Amino acid sequence: MTLDHIRLWLRERVAFYVERTPEEIDPDAKLVEVGLDSVFAMSLSGDIEDEFGLVVEPTVAWDHPTVNALADHLHAEVA
Amino acid sequence: MRDLELPPELTVEHCLELDAREEFPDALCDSLTDLGAERLYLPGVPAERLLAMIRDLAGRDFTVALAHCKTYLGSVATWVGGSPAQVAGLAAKVSGGAVVSLALTERDHGSDALAGDVTATPVPGGYRVDGEKWLINNATRADVVCVLARTGNKGDARGFSLFLVDKHSLPAGTYRCLPKVATHGVRGADISGIRFTGAVVPADAMIGEPGRGLEILLKGLQITRTLCGGMSLGMGEHALRTVLEFAENHRMYGRRLADLPLATRALADSYVDLLVAEAVTVVSTRSIHSLTGEQSLISAIVKYYVPTLIDRTIQRLAKVLGARALLMDGPFQKIWRDHAIVGVFDGNTWVNLSTLVNQFPALTRGYRDARVDQEGLAAATGLKQPLPPLDPGRLSLAARDGCSLVQSLAVSPDAPEELRDRADRLHRSMAEWRPRGREVPPELFGLARDYAQLYAAAACVRVWADNALDDVWLRACLARVFGRPDEATEHLLDLTRRGRPFSFLRGVTDHDT
Ligand SMILES: Cc1cc2nc3c(=O)[nH]c(=O)nc-3n(C[C@H](O)[C@H](O)[C@H](O)COP(=O)(O)OP(=O)(O)OC[C@H]3O[C@@H](n4cnc5c(N)ncnc54)[C@H](O)[C@@H]3O)c2cc1C
Repeated sequence: MTLDHIRLWLRERVAFYVERTPEEIDPDAKLVEVGLDSVFAMSLSGDIEDEFGLVVEPTVAWDHPTVNALADHLHAEVA
Repeated sequence: MRDLELPPELTVEHCLELDAREEFPDALCDSLTDLGAERLYLPGVPAERLLAMIRDLAGRDFTVALAHCKTYLGSVATWVGGSPAQVAGLAAKVSGGAVVSLALTERDHGSDALAGDVTATPVPGGYRVDGEKWLINNATRADVVCVLARTGNKGDARGFSLFLVDKHSLPAGTYRCLPKVATHGVRGADISGIRFTGAVVPADAMIGEPGRGLEILLKGLQITRTLCGGMSLGMGEHALRTVLEFAENHRMYGRRLADLPLATRALADSYVDLLVAEAVTVVSTRSIHSLTGEQSLISAIVKYYVPTLIDRTIQRLAKVLGARALLMDGPFQKIWRDHAIVGVFDGNTWVNLSTLVNQFPALTRGYRDARVDQEGLAAATGLKQPLPPLDPGRLSLAARDGCSLVQSLAVSPDAPEELRDRADRLHRSMAEWRPRGREVPPELFGLARDYAQLYAAAACVRVWADNALDDVWLRACLARVFGRPDEATEHLLDLTRRGRPFSFLRGVTDHDT
């Protein structure tokens, strides 16, 4: 699983939830600033489990609050 | 399972007088403390025992219940997220009768906790707390206040921390309690606030790590929101007792009011509403121990469903009582006013329904895959099953595998076909909605309500199947959950009028004690 792949997937997911195109999502912007509600952001953990078979805390997006930070974290976990 | 006989001076009449004078029930709270009520607020106590006390107290007077049990709300974050030293320190204070309060709400920020303006800034030796918390139960009377304060960026879920602030250790002039707010219900309660100006607390006042405040708090609220069901049960039972007694004795058109078919129906419906509320609340309270990881959902369901149901029940009972519902010399009007608060505080109806909506993806996935924690579910619904002690480490802000109780409908041979059909249809509708990371569309609140209703029905089915309850009980409960008339409800009312106690489930659990 490459870091690029994870990043791309995550950016698409976030874009889907906030109803924008992936290109409009700044991977270094805080997810809340992009428009993702922090309570809703917890459901990303379910998507992550479905996509990568990786069990993470629901608060994972609170601790790694940008697309890039979260992708780095997931990449390290999958490795 | 009674841990506490209520003090004899805790009478409805006395409490009505206090309420009329807007007087705090000091002496009654002292009596409860003398009797050792605070033992039930300590960590390690089975949640059902605390529920039973809250239900009993609320059944007598809600002002007293709120004023005393508030210490549990103030303490729970420490039990869930505190260090062993913090837990021991607070447990000693609570055992000594200290009043502990929770200060989350601010004047300009109700449910939107991430907008909080109270700050805690690191200073040599600790943190300096500044700002105002308002509409806080026992803010003035409290010895210790558990305060949510911003230690990072506004709007950042990791930007808040919790502090246990011992008012006695703050230098004079660094805090001020705000005047009591006049309220519609619980008029005697100390609903006030507190303003901090440069109040320095030691570093070890922080519960858990910096930035963990919201997470710890929300986990603690999963327990208290579930226990709120006990408040509604106690008040609903008190309201029904009051109205039933009147209807049994009030004669009109040559018969008793209770025997007018329309009144009989209203009383029966109200009684069965209470049985449903009891099943939902008891199962959900037991789940704290055995389905701990699902409690984010379960607590939201109880906190939405039970107070909303009992609000309607009380409304219906008021119409049976007639003019007397509006007279100040009886308990009904106080119950009516007091109960209206339950759906508002500790996470209002909308917050709880949003919590459900936010977990729809996990719920549809859990139903599709029929994920069920069979062992945990059996312990929750089998009322005589032993329960493990609560492991707070298993509380989670989201239920990864959804809701075992509802998902068991997909696989349980006991599940009536009607329920399975409803569950299939509802999960299909839930899955049709594109999840959105921003505002919740109004339609989804309706689906969340339907989900809570399905949960209630599933709770009844499992409680019935696992405790060999009467078929009439189940028929009546399901009829009420789905709002259709059924003569089973009137049959149950008949039993009550011939002396059966209101609760069915207490009969099950008290059996061998
Ligand atoms: C008697 C009493 C005791 C209290 N005790 C305490 C206490 O001890 N500690 C403490 O911290 N607080 C306490 N509170 C405060 C209480 O918890 C808050 O007032 C409440 O949780 C927030 O609701 P709100 O109606 O004040 O404000 P808001 O949250 O601003 O809600 C206003 C309205 O906005 C709408 N709304 C809110 N959220 C949503 C949503 N997510 N989706 C859609 N619509 C929404 C609803 O229509 C709602 O009625 C107490 C309040 C009372 C009345």
